[in-house]
Parts: sequence; C-alpha cells; structure tokens
Amino acid sequence: MAHAFKATIVEVRAVAPDHVELLLESPELSQAIPGQFCHVLTPGMLRRPISFSRIDAQRHQVGLLFQVVGSGTAWLAQRAVGESLDVMGPLGRGYEPPVDGRPWLLVGGGVGIPPLFAALERWGAGRRQPIQVVLGARRGDYLIMQDDFRALGVTPVLTTDDGSLGQRGTVIPAVIEWMVRQPESEVMACGPTPMLAALASAVPASAGPVQLALEQRMGCGIGACLACVVPAQPVGPEGPRYRRVCTEGPVFRREELVF
Amino acid sequence: MDLSVHLPRGLTLKNPVMAASGTFGFGPEYAAYVDINRLGGVSVKGISPDPWRGNPPPRVWETPDGLLNSIGLQNPGMDAFLKDDIPFLKTVDTAVIANIIGHTVEEYQRVAERLTQEPRVDAFEVNISCPNIKEGGIQFGHDPEQAYRVTRAVRQVTDRPLMVKVSPNVAEPWVIAEAAVEAGADMISAINTLVGMAIDFKTRRPGLGGRTGGLSGPAIKPVAVRIVYELASRLSVPIIGMGGIQSAEDVLEFFMAGAAAVMVGTITFQHPERMLEIIEALPRVLTQHGFQSLQEAVGAALPR
Ligand SMILES: Cc1cc2nc3c(=O)[nH]c(=O)nc-3n(C[C@H](O)[C@H](O)[C@H](O)COP(=O)(O)OP(=O)(O)OC[C@H]3O[C@@H](n4cnc5c(N)ncnc54)[C@H](O)[C@@H]3O)c2cc1C
Ligand SMILES: Cc1cc2nc3c(=O)[nH]c(=O)nc-3n(C[C@H](O)[C@H](O)[C@H](O)COP(=O)(O)O)c2cc1C
Ligand code: FES
Repeated sequence: MAHAFKATIVEVRAVAPDHVELLLESPELSQAIPGQFCHVLTPGMLRRPISFSRIDAQRHQVGLLFQVVGSGTAWLAQRAVGESLDVMGPLGRGYEPPVDGRPWLLVGGGVGIPPLFAALERWGAGRRQPIQVVLGARRGDYLIMQDDFRALGVTPVLTTDDGSLGQRGTVIPAVIEWMVRQPESEVMACGPTPMLAALASAVPASAGPVQLALEQRMGCGIGACLACVVPAQPVGPEGPRYRRVCTEGPVFRREELVF
Repeated sequence: MDLSVHLPRGLTLKNPVMAASGTFGFGPEYAAYVDINRLGGVSVKGISPDPWRGNPPPRVWETPDGLLNSIGLQNPGMDAFLKDDIPFLKTVDTAVIANIIGHTVEEYQRVAERLTQEPRVDAFEVNISCPNIKEGGIQFGHDPEQAYRVTRAVRQVTDRPLMVKVSPNVAEPWVIAEAAVEAGADMISAINTLVGMAIDFKTRRPGLGGRTGGLSGPAIKPVAVRIVYELASRLSVPIIGMGGIQSAEDVLEFFMAGAAAVMVGTITFQHPERMLEIIEALPRVLTQHGFQSLQEAVGAALPR
C-alpha cells in the first residue's frame, strides 16, 4: 500500500537567487519517471506539487528544484540536511521515452527546466540523433541547471525576457529555427502555460510526439478532488472537457489539450 | 470499545468516521493510501443524472487553516458511476453513501430512482447545499419549500436510508432541516462549505475560476459545531456532523454537540491516513474524557 512517507534531505543547494535544490534520499521516489512529481507537506493546508529535477534509482536519490514564490516554498527553502520531508509520490503521468532515431527537442521555461533535465539524464545518454535544448527565463540568473546540461554534453540555447543572457525574448524563435532544420523532431516541454500554448502552435504538424507538462493548483494530488483540471479535448458544445493534471498529466500530448 | 453506529432503516456503520463527499472521489482513488475497509463509510462525489463539466480552473485556493473550492460538482453522471465505480465499491466492506445532485427536482429524483436499483448503494445523501453551482443545488437549500419538494421527490422513489445535507449559508439551517425531515429524510448531514472569495493579486480578479468558492477545513469547525448543536437541539433524527475535523478530539466535540456520526473531508488532502488514525485513537480519547461508550458522548453538551 502506498503511503505518505518521509524522505531525508541529504543535500541543500542554493542554485540561483531564490532557487533551491533539495536532494532527497528515498527508494520510493527514486522509482519516478521524468515528468512525474511529488506532493510535499508544508505548514499550509495543502501539500505543494514539485517535479523531480534528477532521479537516481541506483543511489536512491531524487532532486527537487524550486523557486521561492510563497509560504510553502519559503518554508522548504529553509530546510536543512538531515531533516525529512513528508511526501506522497511519485505521482502523475511522466514523459513517454523519446522515439529512437528521431531528433529530440527539449524546451524548458523557468522552474519548468528541472523535469527536462531529468528526462535528458534518463534518456539522452548514448543517443546519436541530434538533440537540442532550449531554456528560457525572465532574467539570466534564473536560467537554472545550465551546467547540468553541459555536463551531459549538451550546450543549451539560452533565452531571457530581459536579454540579460542569451537571446532576448521567448524560447519560441529558437524553437522555430530548430524545427525548420529538423522538422521531424519530437518535443518535450515544461514551463508557464503561455509558453506551452505558444509552443503548441509554433511546432509544425510534421513533428513527432509533442509532450507538454502543465501546472495547476492542486488539492489531493491523486485524482480524487477534481481541483487540478485544465481544458482538454474533446471540445463539446459547452466547451472543452476538463482533465486532471495530477493523474491524467502533468504530461499531456499536444493533441489532448486546448489552449 | 464497540464503535459501531446504528442509524435509521438499518444503516449500520462499523465506526462513526466516514469520508466526506467530494474529498474522496468515488472510492478507488485513495485505495492505495487508505484501507477503505476500515472506514465507517464513504460518501462519494456528488452524482447527477447526466455528466457535469464543473467550473473553470483554478478550482482551489488555500486560506489560513482552510481551503476554498469551486469544483462545480464535475462528475461523469450516474451511468458512468454505476459502470466504472460500483465494481470497485463491491470489493470493499464499508457503507457506501451516494451523494446526489440535480438542477431540478426531477433530476434529483431521476438519479435516486436509478441508483436505488443498485444494492451496493447503502444510503443517499441529498446535496441541496453546494454553493458552487449557479442554478439548482443551492436554491433548494435556501428555501424550506424547495427543500421539502426535493426530499419528497427522492423519498418517493427509494426506501434506502436518506440524509439531506444542509447549508451553513442561511440564517436558520434548522428550518431547512425540519422541512427535509417532514418530507421524509431519516437523517441530516451538516455542514456543507461556507461561501467565500479570495482575490488574486497578480490578476486583480477573484482567484477562483468560479469567482466564489466553498470554505472548508479546520477554519470552519466552530461554525459546524454550532450548527450541529442547533440541529441536534431541535430535531429528533440523527445528525451526521462535519466541518474541519482533523483529530479524534474534534470528532468527540461533534459527538458532544449532538452528532451521531461524522464525516471527514479536507484534512484527507494533507494526511490521507488521518481518518484511520482518528478511528484508532477514538476509544482512548473517549475514555480519557470520561465516556464509557460512544453513545454516552452523543449529545453530552446539549441542554437537558
Ligand atoms: C505538477 C507540478 C510540478 C511543479 N514542479 C515545480 C518545480 O519543479 N519547481 C518549482 O519551483 N515549482 C514547481 N511547481 C509549482 C509549485 O507547485 C508552486 O510554485 C508552489 O506550489 C507554490 O507554493 P507556495 O506556498 O510557495 O506559494 P503560495 O502562492 O503561497 O501557494 C498558495 C497555494 O497556491 C498553490 N500554487 C501557487 N503557485 C502554484 C503553481 N505555479 N502551480 C501549482 N500550484 C501553485 C500552492 O500549491 C498553494 O496551494 C509545480 C507545480 C505543479 C502543478
Ligand atoms: C474539494 C471539495 C469538494 C466537495 N464536493 C462536495 C460534493 O460533491 N458534495 C457535497 O455534498 N459536499 C462536497 N464538499 C463538502 C464536504 O463534503 C464537506 O461538507 C465540507 O468540506 C466540510 O468538511 P471538511 O471541513 O472536513 O472538509 C466538498 C468539499 C471539498 C473541499
Ligand atoms: S489534485 Fe485532486 S484531482 Fe488532481
């Protein structure tokens, strides 16, 4: 029987201004698939959903990399090595592995970057097809995990809203440019909903699977409360059908969604 | 200590702690986390005759010690419930309460008529108190005449134990409850959520997609205890109490205010195993406060 259980913090890293990565030791969580998440107890009424930034099944470790945006993440950022977190997980539908032999494009925005790193780490090694990583953030010092990508031998294309690092603007021009060169690429992405919406229309129909990981405010995290819905197919006379991010996502195929 | 509870029309609970409607899905969702066989019962998510889409997201908003929700009673409809969830519910040994909803009296009656043919449905809970839908639902809970009509219509088509769930968003909830009892309700459950709102500073608009939402969780417990007390003081039918329960002490408080059994909702999101912990702790907490049995605690705080 699954449980909410304790996971011990083995390392705390300050990775950027107001961004912290916690490494947790947990045999259960380390079974996760990239794109899945865990539901973390904080002092508030509701647990906080956080994706895995890295998943090491051998060493029984996972990473949670988050930005401090409110009370729960502020509390998490103050945890110390040796303390433990009360977690539920791994939860939700993760990314499906990339198809062998297809070019592969990974696009991450802000705190959507971590799950893409987990995906590249899991499935990138030894692949011979072209791989492109495009990362975006509001400003240069929020472009997290660049060095992690480089350590895997991939040089990410960087974009920032304010132009303080890499190309100025969104990830979309870099995505379009890549898709012109590699029109059959498959795409994995995670980031703010407007970025995913723009991406969904920018990637041509010639592409392989387009998998997008979404965010929504959650209650239970396990499919019982219907809080975490997003508009999805099919669209009936009354509008789109609502589907649950916590169990039917966070990762959806582009054709399943309505933006 | 014997924790079993005997309610009207032969409804027997192995213990007084049930999962509250809308916080426990249709049963299978929490099966990996909670041994459902150990619960007193499960009130499933509100079921309508036809599927309901629910409200636009965001649908939840955290508040101090509470939660605002505007799910809007999204549900797949009674046929899907019978086909997809009853088979699972047949594998567990706990009371199944069908929470039912409709836009019209006729819709409430239709869903009751259909579900009463399913033997696994042990009882009905008629939700006339959900603040999250624009038509139907709430108006039945705000007008004693409407409450009477809905309850009567459901009573006409089922012999199963029947409880009517009342709203805290009226000045005199007992007037609604009395009308429901007069129309044939065997029990009253209380309370549903309190209407509230939160503003999103980023968008400068109400934070919930449905604009208003229902407040639940520990923040509402004193309101719930007060309403249970008032209902129990005035009515002779059993009261099923809920609102903000997070411990065995809270359950005892509801008993003393006059509840015969309780439901636990929002805290399950935080601690899925909490209902089981409460059931385990209950005999000790009763003894600790000088009660030899559950029965002895029921209504202990009511005026004599
Ligand atoms: C599947 C999933 C994976 C996520 N992965 C990450 C991650 O890897 N790194 C990261 O930094 N953030 C991630 N987020 C966002 C993260 O959940 C929120 O930033 C966090 O819940 C904010 O909590 P808070 O108490 O600090 O903020 P507050 O604003 O105080 O939170 C108030 C309430 O709103 C909810 N909330 C606020 N913002 C969000 C949001 N963007 N998404 C969902 N709920 C929100 C909170 O959970 C809480 O219930 C993820 C969200 C989802 C749904
Ligand atoms: C997310 C959510 C969904 C709910 N859905 C329903 C519902 O479908 N039908 C119903 O009668 N009550 C519903 N309720 C109300 C609960 O059953 C309960 O009356 C209320 O939440 C108070 O109990 P609590 O504070 O323990 O959660 C819902 C509550 C929540 C939080
Ligand atoms: S958070 Fe409860 S259904 Fe997704």
